[in-house]
Amino acid sequence: MHPCSREMQGINYVLNPSSQIPLQDLQNQQHQQIQNSPFDPSSSSNDDFLDQMLSSLPSSSWADLKSPWDLNPPTSLNIPINNSSAKPREDETPPSMPENVGFHNFDESVILAAKLRQHQISGGPSPAVAAAAKAMLQQQLMMATRGGGLPQNDVVDGSSFKSPTRGDGSVQALYNNGFGAGSMHGTGQASNQSQQHFHHPQAQNFSTPGAGAGMAMNQPQASGSTGGAPAQPRQRVRARRGQATDPHSIAERLRRERIAERMKALQELVPNGNKTDKASMLDEIIDYVKFLQLQVKVLSMSRLGGAAAVAPLVADMSSEGRGGAGGGGDCIQATANGGSLPRTNSNSTQTPSSNDTLTVTEHQVARLMEEDMGSAMQYLQGKGLCLMPISLATAISTTTSHSRNPVLNSNHHSLLHSNGEGPSSPSMSVLTVQSATMGNGRGDASVKDAASVSKP
Amino acid sequence: MTSIYQINSATRIRFARRFLISLSRMRRASTLGPPSDEEIRTRTRRIRIVSYSSMAFAVGSSRAWSRALVLKIRNRARFRGILRNKCLASKKKRVIKRHKVSREMSKTDMLRRLVPGGAGMGICGLLEETAHYMTCLATQVKVMQSIADHYSK
Repeated sequence: MHPCSREMQGINYVLNPSSQIPLQDLQNQQHQQIQNSPFDPSSSSNDDFLDQMLSSLPSSSWADLKSPWDLNPPTSLNIPINNSSAKPREDETPPSMPENVGFHNFDESVILAAKLRQHQISGGPSPAVAAAAKAMLQQQLMMATRGGGLPQNDVVDGSSFKSPTRGDGSVQALYNNGFGAGSMHGTGQASNQSQQHFHHPQAQNFSTPGAGAGMAMNQPQASGSTGGAPAQPRQRVRARRGQATDPHSIAERLRRERIAERMKALQELVPNGNKTDKASMLDEIIDYVKFLQLQVKVLSMSRLGGAAAVAPLVADMSSEGRGGAGGGGDCIQATANGGSLPRTNSNSTQTPSSNDTLTVTEHQVARLMEEDMGSAMQYLQGKGLCLMPISLATAISTTTSHSRNPVLNSNHHSLLHSNGEGPSSPSMSVLTVQSATMGNGRGDASVKDAASVSKP
Repeated sequence: MTSIYQINSATRIRFARRFLISLSRMRRASTLGPPSDEEIRTRTRRIRIVSYSSMAFAVGSSRAWSRALVLKIRNRARFRGILRNKCLASKKKRVIKRHKVSREMSKTDMLRRLVPGGAGMGICGLLEETAHYMTCLATQVKVMQSIADHYSK
């Protein structure tokens, strides 16, 4: 699978060839799930809001709906709090009046909005916010009624007159309150104004305040309670990252976190583990595991204590298709210095080499590498050279002097001079270029591990 | 998190012990005189298998990769003839693989191939096993290196 342009998505594809849940699909799923749930106030658009409210609210709760909109507000408005009980509360609430029946026509949306709000307030996760919202609601209702200036016993017209205004005013008060404005004054004004043009904007006002009430309802909740279920797409972003209603996304997130943890642990284990993105980190991990396995193999060879035998072994290894010349070269290095006496003699005879012979050697090796890796390795071996990846060469050169091998240094043929960075750079670059040009046809590790010839 | 992946010294000692015992067993069984190439090859392979198996046994069955490795070695011991043909077949495979290498190998596939028992795991478990496997390999290399140093002096 090829990584996509977005790194993480690409990594997801890489890591989850079977799960096939890229990030976009996940978001789509979230959207779909939220749109499908009926009584979920987190509709994506305000247009659907009223429809959802109207369709989802159970009819059994109509009795509850009447109570907050009663004409005679008691001094203590604890009405909206208890919506769970089906009966109207006698102690606190005003007696349900026959005018309430008339509310249905135009109060419907407002009542539904109130009901929704109550649901949310009572079902809100954080009791502090719910209590605050309830307190706000009480104040608004009181202000609205005062602004409305109602007599208690009303004619139907009067009641029907007042209730929408009150509803409008209270809803608008909620709306205003949602923006955190101390808008008690605005409440009164709004209710006064709406008294005047009561007939015309009747229908319109109730659609918008309904939506406004919905928004107002949701805003104090979402902004107030960070842990609340997000109401709308805009607020879903603002909700805390750890909260999601989706079990799928939660599981995904957990999984991703676990993977990130493991990658971090691996990063500490692998040398050169400072890569930030997962793909290169995985590459490093793979290379390091291959390198360790090769070291084991080489050490098992050196146990036999005869490096005269190394050459055929090298040929054998390269013919086994091990990861490129670099790997084989690495083995040769350890073996040749791992305590093989006959080898050192041949090594010592070759000590100084001019640049000419080096370049000649390189050309030879390049030509041989085209045909057969094994023969190239044997040729190098015959000259007392070896092939190794540049990265390893530099790493080993820096660590050779202080790490393990006294044997390595004593034979002295530690392949890389410990004072230098590694093999002479021109030879490195030349061979690199050559192997790169040659390696294009192969497209294999011979390109990936740039080879460098190093002299003992 | 790295504390989980640190190998106990007990594991290291167990590995060293098993490895040395099996090495001495092999030395006793070897022929005298300069070994031929073929012999060297087989002995190399055997030593390598021995080192892996002793590591796997030292780790025990607490890790998925060690369990898989133990099983693989046991099966390998039974079907040795098939392994011999594997060397000759690998040359052909190498040529074929080169054409398809960019397409089929994703990084996780390669990692699965490297870590024993990696084929049957999810990414999460694979990464964890890789970390433990890497530390075990590192100790293996260190122990073998010190043994080699000791005997070459």
